[in-house]
Amino acid sequence: MPRHPLCTPVDHRLSRRQLFGTVAAGGIASLGLGALATPILAEALRKQRKQVLFVWTDGGMSQLESWDPKPNTTFGGPFRAIPTNVPGIHISETLPQSAQIMDKLTIVRSVRTQDNSHSAGVARIQRGDPKNRGVVYPYFGSAVAKWLGAGDSGLPPYVWIKPGSGGFIYKDAGFLGPKYGALALGDGKPPENLIRPDSLSVADAEERDLLRKLADQRYTTGRRPENTEANSFAFEMAGQLQKRMELFDESKVPEKELDRYGRNEFGRHMLLARRLLEAGVTFVKVASYGWDTHGDHFNGAANLHPKFDRAFAAIVSDLAERGLLESTLVIAMSEFGRTPRINGHIGRDHWPEAWSVAMAGLGLKPGIVVGKTNDKGTDVATEPYDIGHLFHTWFTALGIDPTDHEYRNGGQPLPIAHEEMKRIDEALA
Amino acid sequence: MSGIASRVLGLFAIFVCLVAPASAAEPLITTIDRLITTHAVGAKQTISPPASDSEFLRRVYLDFTGRIPTLTEAKTFLNNPSATKRNQLIDSLIDGPEFGPHMANVMHIALMERLGDNALWLEYLSQSFTQNKPWDKMVRDMLWSNPADQSTQGAAFFLSKRLENYGQNPVDYSGLTRDVGRLFLGKNLGCAECHDHLFIEDYKQAHFQGLHTFLKNSYLVNANPPTVGEKPTTAKTAFASVFTKKEKLTAPALPGGEMVEIPAFKKGDEYLVAPDKKAKTPGQLKFSPLKTLSEMLPTASNREFVQTSANRFWFILMGRGLIHPLDLSHSRNPASHPQVLDAITDAFADHQFDVKWLLKQLARTQAYQRSSALPAGVTDADAKLFTTALERRLSAEQLAASVLTAIGEKPSAALTKKFVKAYANQAREPEDEFTPSLQGALFVLHDNSVLKLLEPKSGNLVGRVSALTDHQKIAEELYLAILTRQPTAEETQMVSTILSKHSQDRVTAVKNIAWALLASMEFMVNH
Repeated sequence: MPRHPLCTPVDHRLSRRQLFGTVAAGGIASLGLGALATPILAEALRKQRKQVLFVWTDGGMSQLESWDPKPNTTFGGPFRAIPTNVPGIHISETLPQSAQIMDKLTIVRSVRTQDNSHSAGVARIQRGDPKNRGVVYPYFGSAVAKWLGAGDSGLPPYVWIKPGSGGFIYKDAGFLGPKYGALALGDGKPPENLIRPDSLSVADAEERDLLRKLADQRYTTGRRPENTEANSFAFEMAGQLQKRMELFDESKVPEKELDRYGRNEFGRHMLLARRLLEAGVTFVKVASYGWDTHGDHFNGAANLHPKFDRAFAAIVSDLAERGLLESTLVIAMSEFGRTPRINGHIGRDHWPEAWSVAMAGLGLKPGIVVGKTNDKGTDVATEPYDIGHLFHTWFTALGIDPTDHEYRNGGQPLPIAHEEMKRIDEALA
Repeated sequence: MSGIASRVLGLFAIFVCLVAPASAAEPLITTIDRLITTHAVGAKQTISPPASDSEFLRRVYLDFTGRIPTLTEAKTFLNNPSATKRNQLIDSLIDGPEFGPHMANVMHIALMERLGDNALWLEYLSQSFTQNKPWDKMVRDMLWSNPADQSTQGAAFFLSKRLENYGQNPVDYSGLTRDVGRLFLGKNLGCAECHDHLFIEDYKQAHFQGLHTFLKNSYLVNANPPTVGEKPTTAKTAFASVFTKKEKLTAPALPGGEMVEIPAFKKGDEYLVAPDKKAKTPGQLKFSPLKTLSEMLPTASNREFVQTSANRFWFILMGRGLIHPLDLSHSRNPASHPQVLDAITDAFADHQFDVKWLLKQLARTQAYQRSSALPAGVTDADAKLFTTALERRLSAEQLAASVLTAIGEKPSAALTKKFVKAYANQAREPEDEFTPSLQGALFVLHDNSVLKLLEPKSGNLVGRVSALTDHQKIAEELYLAILTRQPTAEETQMVSTILSKHSQDRVTAVKNIAWALLASMEFMVNH
């Protein structure tokens, strides 16, 4: 494989600095991307790095057809429950491969959240539903990006693989500021115009970018710096992504792996997620759409769940096999579950009252189920856990204790998770 | 009078002087600057010096023509010794031919938020701003206009686009109600649909439902051009808070206003002109809530409308609303300068919603004509004090037009489209602040349509400048054409360094420098 022409050796940088003399010195020092660590050191650092895989089934996966089946009950639906590789724990027959990795999973069956609308619910859940303090809280991905940083992957800390269009979704970051936003890879593809056209030589591209940085440095002197900083960040990210083009090249992925993950959109996106985690991206979110099955729910589930199952089981197994699961927190969830009651269109509606979240990996106690619902699945029968409890649990698993970490927003101290909730000790290792 | 009494009166007089509202005789411009200065002094904030001629020139061209000035326009203005040249330029641009089309783009982005485009709508806005149609009448046309009247047909797009099905979802009437409240009344009632707003006490569920009742029976007539029909409104809307479940009723009503009486007609007798499905004409109701709304909302007596409108035009020129965000007007988010807001609100109504007049006044203020550089020794300035000019986002349309002006090429719809794709926000996200754009960075770095603009052609920037040999002259031409200013000594030296480095290939050197200036932050924003 040819080396990417934009991977500039250090001596090249120095020669540019000499060219521009004193004018450029400050510019490079303050705006440079920071040299990449040597491969061996990088590998060592990466082993200690904590990462997150966040799988989002948008619209609401039914707990009754997944982690909390209630076969042969009023609302149980047509699917059976099957045993898992942990004696005594059963999950829905729509997830046979996940059943074989139950020993690696931590299921919470006693989730009760507050909002049953998609429009508000998605943001509410992903922002951790903190107390309202008149500020917009960051999504979990932005929060993790802030606390764990980008590491040495050369990629932004928060990458979101999704169907449809991509772009840089700065609004996820809330008050943390645009640089903690999500790089969204629409349809798993890198953004448009990522590749330098042949008509522009490497030397010219470098000269142009350096001249742009100098112009910005001059312009921002004596001005408010925020906008220029945010704009520089977009250019830096563009530069970083160009160096990791190979990550997006599916032709380099063995056929066998494509089969294991499933030759469908979600399977491809989960496989890309694994490659990004292996490359060191701090937080990878994979979104799957179309789970809002208000009508013909059971045929919908029969179609959707096996695709989820295959890719989810594959990635958890792969992370475990590579030794990455012990440093990676895996979370699979939606904005809510689905109603036990089956509606007139043979569908299940939105249900925040009693649903389940599946987790695995870093900091968790594997092979267990936490909490339970009543016999018909209509309510939580043990202590209910809101998204705030889950945020406490996740942060704790990542080594970020919410009781001694807080945000600072222009001097205003803000708790990182709802201060009236606490971590779920039972779920933690 | 005793000594003490006169001293007290004297103090009182000073007090009155400092806080007194504008007297009838004081011009609006003076009132604005007096109040902003007083406020800055109170906040112990140093005020930035006035913008240089270059900074001012670039700003007014971007604001009133939607592009930077050409090299010739820049030289003409900068070399003009007249003491009144700034006012002359403001007037000539606002009265000039590019003002209408540019303001049409500004309002299109503000009111449609990238939901979609429509040629008739843009034409309507452009004509209206060119002819200086009063703003209240424009809003009236948007809320209801006679479909047979060709001169206002385009205005229906404001409603008709929002009455389309969004993918497989049904028409978003709640979104329509929210947008009418946000854009024309300065109130985002979106979170008051199902209950009173949870933390903005002023926003009641009844406000949302009253406004909703004006709009909820409208529908799209998919004719060419699309028009808006209405089903008869025969009864009040019943609603209940999800918390109290107590049922209430509302007729059409503006937030906090009286309910409109719903007249009773026999079934089949509701129309003056019956709708015709085959001919795709909407007909005309005897009682049209939309027509009623269009007569009640955009009026001088509706303070919320006048204030929201004045605040928006202030925002367009100043980069931040006096009430900010523009759609969160409520008692716990007061204006940064309540008296300034009152003054421009009153003046706008007194001048019959004369947009050109208002913009000419605002552009003459010191607040508008300040430098965007912080005062010496100051490291930050609170944006809401308006003591330093704010950097403002350039729309994709302004960026495209400015790049083409700098290069010396004609306007291009195809290229503008590409800029919109790279720089515009997603639909429904207001473009009210500068946001970094990865797509934009990659577009300017690598897109062929941008790179092609830098190829030398006879008469274009790179062609013309590459023909020059004097380094100083090359630097001056490039900086004036792209950044509307002279280069500093340091910048001239840098240009010279690059030219010397490429001594065998001046075109490459010029291309690289021109690209860097076009991609720079100084070019990317209105400062």
